[in-house]
Amino acid sequence: MSHMVRIHRITAAGKGAEMAEGNGLSVTLDAQVYDLWAVHQAAYRLSDRLAIQVAIEGSTIQCTLYPVTEGTNSDSLLVARADFLREVTDQMLRARIREVTEPVRNLILAYTFSRSGLQK
Amino acid sequence: MTRFLPAEDYLPSGRYELLPFRFERLDDERVLLSNMAGEALTVSSADLTTLVNGDLDRSGALFSRLRANHFLRQPEDRAALELLALKLRTRYARLRDFTSLHLFVVTLRCDHACRYCQVSRQSADRASFDMSRETADRAIDLLFRSPNQALKVEFQGGEPLLNFDLIRYVVLSITERNRQHKRDIQFVITTTLSLISDDTLAFCREHRIFLSASLDGPEDLHNANRPRPGADSHARFVAGLEKARDVLGPEAVSALMTTTAASLQRGPGIVDEYLRLGFHGIFLRHLSPYGFALKTQSYQGYDTARWLEFYEETLTYIIDLNRSGVRFTEQHAAIILRKMFSCHDPGYVDLMNPSGAGIAAIVFNYDGGVFASDESRMLMEMGDDTFRLGSVHEHGYDEIFSAPALLSALEDSFTLSAPMCADCACEPWCGADPVYHHARHGDPLGRKAESGFCQRMKGMTRIFVKAMEDPFVAALFRRWALSC
Ligand code: SF4
Ligand code: SF4
Repeated sequence: MSHMVRIHRITAAGKGAEMAEGNGLSVTLDAQVYDLWAVHQAAYRLSDRLAIQVAIEGSTIQCTLYPVTEGTNSDSLLVARADFLREVTDQMLRARIREVTEPVRNLILAYTFSRSGLQK
Repeated sequence: MTRFLPAEDYLPSGRYELLPFRFERLDDERVLLSNMAGEALTVSSADLTTLVNGDLDRSGALFSRLRANHFLRQPEDRAALELLALKLRTRYARLRDFTSLHLFVVTLRCDHACRYCQVSRQSADRASFDMSRETADRAIDLLFRSPNQALKVEFQGGEPLLNFDLIRYVVLSITERNRQHKRDIQFVITTTLSLISDDTLAFCREHRIFLSASLDGPEDLHNANRPRPGADSHARFVAGLEKARDVLGPEAVSALMTTTAASLQRGPGIVDEYLRLGFHGIFLRHLSPYGFALKTQSYQGYDTARWLEFYEETLTYIIDLNRSGVRFTEQHAAIILRKMFSCHDPGYVDLMNPSGAGIAAIVFNYDGGVFASDESRMLMEMGDDTFRLGSVHEHGYDEIFSAPALLSALEDSFTLSAPMCADCACEPWCGADPVYHHARHGDPLGRKAESGFCQRMKGMTRIFVKAMEDPFVAALFRRWALSC
């Protein structure tokens, strides 16, 4: 899994999704492209609306999305799924930024606290 | 001796380097970026991708903006890291100072019976609900143990003026002991002004005591929110305000409002009342999920989304007033904007990270209990003593400030390592509020995706960013940020 993939916005949010058993929606992600950590982060961000079950199956990450609030209709579940996919992409982007800025971030923190008097 | 070249000399030439930043989508098109020092910028979604992929046009205006605001640097930008570090250091400088605000709850008794009240008692029983001199003495000992040169002593209640003898005693004792300690001490009494007398005001003038009063809006709204015998809370406030300003000067009295469900339709009217009474600003405050507010369902009277609607409508009204030449500030916005536009922390306890609980403010309850914040003692009134750090009668300074309840709350809620907060663009101007999250979610960190505190901060940020698309508002907000 490489963090160095170039990031593109997902435009076809419906791809790879189908109704799962029960009242959930399943989304299949290619584990070569998506990072499991990003999937978890996205699931946490949407936890007010969705409970997301995540499993690794071969080279795919299988996500099943369940609405948290009762009475969620299929339209709003589709919107939530699109938000989830967008959020996974954002998390990939965040991971990329963190990765490339890590050394300079440490340098800034070293400069900051070397003169703060906080670490006596 | 071998010397290393500065880190800057290792940058690949001809490329720009990203500096650490976080982002948050405002809508489908726009993204908010903030860097380590809290400086914020809005860019388009497409520009964000281009920026991260290293493809940004170096001759464009966006590139210059991002460079000037430390989101990226070029090999020749040698001072960028030092500057960011300096700003970050300034931002956290308050940690060195430690506790400034010391709240003395001098009585729980009150002449009001506000619907949303967290703590008050309608009782004449002084012995059970007033702070004693002995308790005050112990609290004053702890006050002078704070390493902070600038100390703020705030008298709270109930209605603190019902135990004015003790306020007098505490002010005189502190003033006397301070001859030796030489701290900068500011006194504030939080009061409804309903019981203010000439004697009280004369003492306040002599000791330069400020008054922080409560005004919820026009007479009918204020009286409905704040019942008292005679249903005359508003009239007493107005009379007390006039007298207090005469004696103490116009700037010595400030006012705070609380938003109840009945306030939601009345934003502009509330602002007009503040203006009519000569105030230059208002702090639009939401209800807290503590005390009787919860018991009486006041807190459930509206949700965060509804409060944000009220907030946006009222803020827009205030902006329009300014547009028409009336200078008036929304102080809640001013505090957040100051954090967004500068590296100076205005020291607002609810929006601090690490949390201000205990390390920026401490509460001495009437019975000697020590609490990490005003909200902590309100929680105690609901039977939850999680944030009771000890008692002035039983515990010393070191025991109180190293209480496991305080340390674990600070550590567990620290936003730089909290899920969601750690990568949130609002983090530099947000805060950790362990007491709120404990009250609502049962743990100091809470679940930010469901947190009203989080929704409010993100919502207010969106409102500010949208409003600032208007150059007039952008300039106005900068003025507010500098003035608070
Ligand atoms: S909110 Fe203040 S004024 Fe109202 S009852 Fe409570 S202590 Fe008294
Ligand atoms: S509480 Fe919410 S708004 Fe504040 S830093 Fe955390 S995620 Fe961001």
